[in-house]
Amino acid sequence: MISRRQIFAGAAVLGAASLVPGLGQAQPAPRRGGVLRISVDQAAGVLNPLLTRVNPEYLVAELLYSGLTRLRADMTAEPDLAESWTSTPDLAEWTFKLRAGLVFHDGTPCTSRDVAASFTAMLDPKTASAARTNIGPIAEVSAPDAQTVVFKLKGGYADLPVALAYTNAKIIPEKIAAGDMSVLSRSAIGTGPFKLVSFEPERQIVVARNEHYWDPARPHVDRVEVLVYPDPAAEASALIAGDTDLMASAQPSEFPRLASASGVKALRVPSGQFLNINMACDLKPFDDVRVRRALALTVDREAMVGFAAQGFGTPGNDTPLSPAYHFYQQAPLLKRNIPDAKRFLAEAGYPNGLDLTLVASDTPSTRTQLGVAVREMAKEAGFRIQVQTMPHATYLAQVWTKGNFYVGFYNMQASADAIFSLLYTSNAAWPETRWKNPDFDKLIGEARVTADEARRRDIYGQAQALMREGVPSVIPVFFDLLAAQRPYVQGYQLNPRGAVFSLDKLWLGEGAPKRR
Amino acid sequence: MNDLLRRLLATRQGALGVVLLVLVAFCCIAGPWLAPYDAEQIDFLGRFAAPGTRHLLGADQLGRDVLSRLLTGARTTVPAALGATLLGTLAGAVAGTLSAYLGGHWDEAIMRTIDAVMALPGLLLALLVANTLGAGGLGAVLAVAVAFAPGMARITRSVALAVRRQEYVSAAIARGESGTYIVLREMLPNVVAPVIVETTIRVAFAVMLFATLSFLGLGAQPPAPEWGLMVSEGRRYLHQAPWLVVVPGVAIAITAIGFNLLGDGLRDALNPRDER
Amino acid sequence: MSARWLLRRLLLVFYTLLVVSILVFAITQVLPADAAVTLLGENASVEALAAVRSRLGLNDPVWLQFWHWIAGVAQGNLGVSMRTGQPVGPTMLIALSRSLLLAVCSIGLMLVVAVPLGVLAALRRGKAADLGVGLVSYLGVSVPEFVTATVVLVVLADRLQWLPATGYVPLTENFWDGVRHLVAPVLTVSIVLVAHVSRMVRSETADVLSSDYVAAARLKGLSGRVVLLRHVLRNALLPVVTVVALDVGYLLGGIIVVEEIFAIPGIGRQLLVAIENRDLPAMQAGALIMAATYAFANFLADLAYAFLDRRIRYE
Repeated sequence: MISRRQIFAGAAVLGAASLVPGLGQAQPAPRRGGVLRISVDQAAGVLNPLLTRVNPEYLVAELLYSGLTRLRADMTAEPDLAESWTSTPDLAEWTFKLRAGLVFHDGTPCTSRDVAASFTAMLDPKTASAARTNIGPIAEVSAPDAQTVVFKLKGGYADLPVALAYTNAKIIPEKIAAGDMSVLSRSAIGTGPFKLVSFEPERQIVVARNEHYWDPARPHVDRVEVLVYPDPAAEASALIAGDTDLMASAQPSEFPRLASASGVKALRVPSGQFLNINMACDLKPFDDVRVRRALALTVDREAMVGFAAQGFGTPGNDTPLSPAYHFYQQAPLLKRNIPDAKRFLAEAGYPNGLDLTLVASDTPSTRTQLGVAVREMAKEAGFRIQVQTMPHATYLAQVWTKGNFYVGFYNMQASADAIFSLLYTSNAAWPETRWKNPDFDKLIGEARVTADEARRRDIYGQAQALMREGVPSVIPVFFDLLAAQRPYVQGYQLNPRGAVFSLDKLWLGEGAPKRR
Repeated sequence: MNDLLRRLLATRQGALGVVLLVLVAFCCIAGPWLAPYDAEQIDFLGRFAAPGTRHLLGADQLGRDVLSRLLTGARTTVPAALGATLLGTLAGAVAGTLSAYLGGHWDEAIMRTIDAVMALPGLLLALLVANTLGAGGLGAVLAVAVAFAPGMARITRSVALAVRRQEYVSAAIARGESGTYIVLREMLPNVVAPVIVETTIRVAFAVMLFATLSFLGLGAQPPAPEWGLMVSEGRRYLHQAPWLVVVPGVAIAITAIGFNLLGDGLRDALNPRDER
Repeated sequence: MSARWLLRRLLLVFYTLLVVSILVFAITQVLPADAAVTLLGENASVEALAAVRSRLGLNDPVWLQFWHWIAGVAQGNLGVSMRTGQPVGPTMLIALSRSLLLAVCSIGLMLVVAVPLGVLAALRRGKAADLGVGLVSYLGVSVPEFVTATVVLVVLADRLQWLPATGYVPLTENFWDGVRHLVAPVLTVSIVLVAHVSRMVRSETADVLSSDYVAAARLKGLSGRVVLLRHVLRNALLPVVTVVALDVGYLLGGIIVVEEIFAIPGIGRQLLVAIENRDLPAMQAGALIMAATYAFANFLADLAYAFLDRRIRYE
């Protein structure tokens, strides 16, 4: 039986220790007060935490709302509204204990009924929350008493506490969850560390300390101003000039300038964020694994880190697990081999090469760059690729999960299971490649109900090997996450997941500007 | 014609404009042959190469030669702007002349509607149309044409009204010629001279509008070497490789200045007394 | 400026808005992407799509959708943003107020710079000053705003660090900071305006200078300054009023790019965001408000023109 019972005090110590890894000198105690200005690179238009879709929206949702658990930088779950949890031995039923005395921003108590109603709303297809397909195989949520929430699953699922830390799995009041949710598009009623002060999606979002947050020690800062800078160069300039204190993310093109600027600390962490080339495994010509392998063999992965990520990344091996994932399996990097690629292509029935159109959405622009680099690399082997860029909205409507050859882009997920069952299993939420490999499905299913760490590692290793053989998509590069801050910002740690910020844990140290 | 050219070259603006545009035209025609590299060729070690002997105008984030892309891209950018202007002018000229010919309530209705359409800023109209047609080179050309048509219609009409009062039109009406004949054979040709001046200046505007659409992501799509798109892509590396913005930006400006100068020169040459 | 004229002019404004709303509605109707898909993005389930389509009335025939929309507009309800769920009318009007601030400051700066430049060029025709003004105006009308804006940004914000890079601070929140944020975008917008208007002023002034009555005034023995101020400027500035009104159209367009680059949440940027996200109600409202602004500016210009014109004739 796997049982993780963590009392609050223990969790807080653990959290603080993981904030500043490997720092020799004594860390001063967190200072209370001050205004943090953080810049984001696009508007946070959606305020409803169940419906947020992009990183700045996740950032805002995290300030205003809480989930049962939240994600640490090492991709394990830490207690949030839930202070402890247990599961049955078959991992199919989980019981979460809520903290005592939780209240929403409007002063009403937050109980297990609110939690159950929130999850019921997330799982309702009509809500169209991304949480529905990302928080595990939940069959039913119930609230036997005010402090207890029970999740009955459709099968065993070892990763549930991590899955429940999902960006959209936030708790909202029952009367809103079960009634009209539109009120959440203009106001915020959550249990998060901050309350909403003003919401102007294209310019700035201001939040102020929630005096009734469950942890009296946090948040450390009084106020957070989230400023929107659509232009990355201007965003970097604002930090260098001291207009802002922290950049949630930085572009590779701005990173060298930030790293060399005085009074700026550049942050970088390897992540599992990747670009891939999706091939429809159920349509010609990609239904033949030899064509997919031929394409994989044309790509120089080391060079691709330079072309697509400007050196700020790690080469990929056609599995979505980067070294940043817990269950990553080391394997020799696939080397570019044009003669083999030509041979595979000829054996598949294309001795004279192939004409293909590779579709790339215009955001992020690295999609097209990757496409152009692949086109040039694959030319020699006989692939005649035309790169077609289109606006993101058109891409979503016409190509995404439907097209037969296009560039995909994904954030790192919290667990191996999350990314595999999001994209590559036969019943994947977003069936981009329609690979449909029964052996792979079986392995992923087995890992879900396996609690033993070594056994899981072995199973996920086999799954990764299957992907390297079958190449449903070419995954040539993982991006490092980049950010930057002023040196007086203390206790901020870049989370490789990309969608987790934990701003309530940081504080402003010596030298911070005085702002009202 | 020779006489016109001589008068054109005699004006300072005209002469300079012709020189600049000959240069631009040369790039459009001979560009791909002049280009030292394939415009699409990537080069891992040459990424962000500064202007120098290897790459005269530097290289971009994929190591592509900027000069080669500029020369190849001239073929997209300049003809697109020309085509869009001609299309817009033609549509506008037909509408304007027709309106002047019909006169009365029809004229009033057509012109008030055209005025109404012009209440939408040109760039906004172009953005909406380009977005509807789907972002891409052809969509952008049509969008610029649509944005230009109302303005051209207004100008053509005012000129046409002046022409309408001329004797040869009355003569044609007296001869009992058909309406189409009068509009196409008698009125339109006489409207041409002032319209040519306006059109030339508008090409400069079209070059910029087309580039702006690409800059905003609704014109040519990457990896096309269109100039506005090159600026847009290069802006991301402004601090690392400023030439990625400067080079295509200057190319756009030179082309636009060329057409502006030519337009002013033509105006002087066609109507030497008017000093504007 | 009779009541009849005024009524007719107001009717024209109304007609303009009607034509624009039909045009904009038609354009947004034939957009290639399904609004419901765009709204729900990557998480759209079939049920959710159906729910959204019926909530937004996307299943209704086009004419009925138009009727619902235009009836709402007539009551001052421009609809609700598909993206943020906020009413678009108030959002767009706040955005417009920021754009107008930018526009008014730019026109002001332009007048201060362009009129003296144009007059100077006309007085020193063919001399170095004239050539200099000509060069500046050619550059101004030929360099796209996105290039000018980039240059202004790099020089003033990055190299010299005189100004904040981008962003917008309401003057009511912090006046001085707000002004600092406005300088760079105002500069960018006015460069093009100065280029355009200084040419105009130059040619008008030159025309008036060579006219008979200025010669007559000189013969009467009036000093050069008096002639310039009383006769030349007043007559030369008349057409400039019209040009400025026409430039409002350009201005509202050019502002789209400038607002995008300088991250000013004005109506131009709102429109771009709406276009990017296929947010139909926001696109319709934004375009309509922009057209209304232009139509109104033209109306004002006509009033001003009629007013100035009469004064001059009566003189």
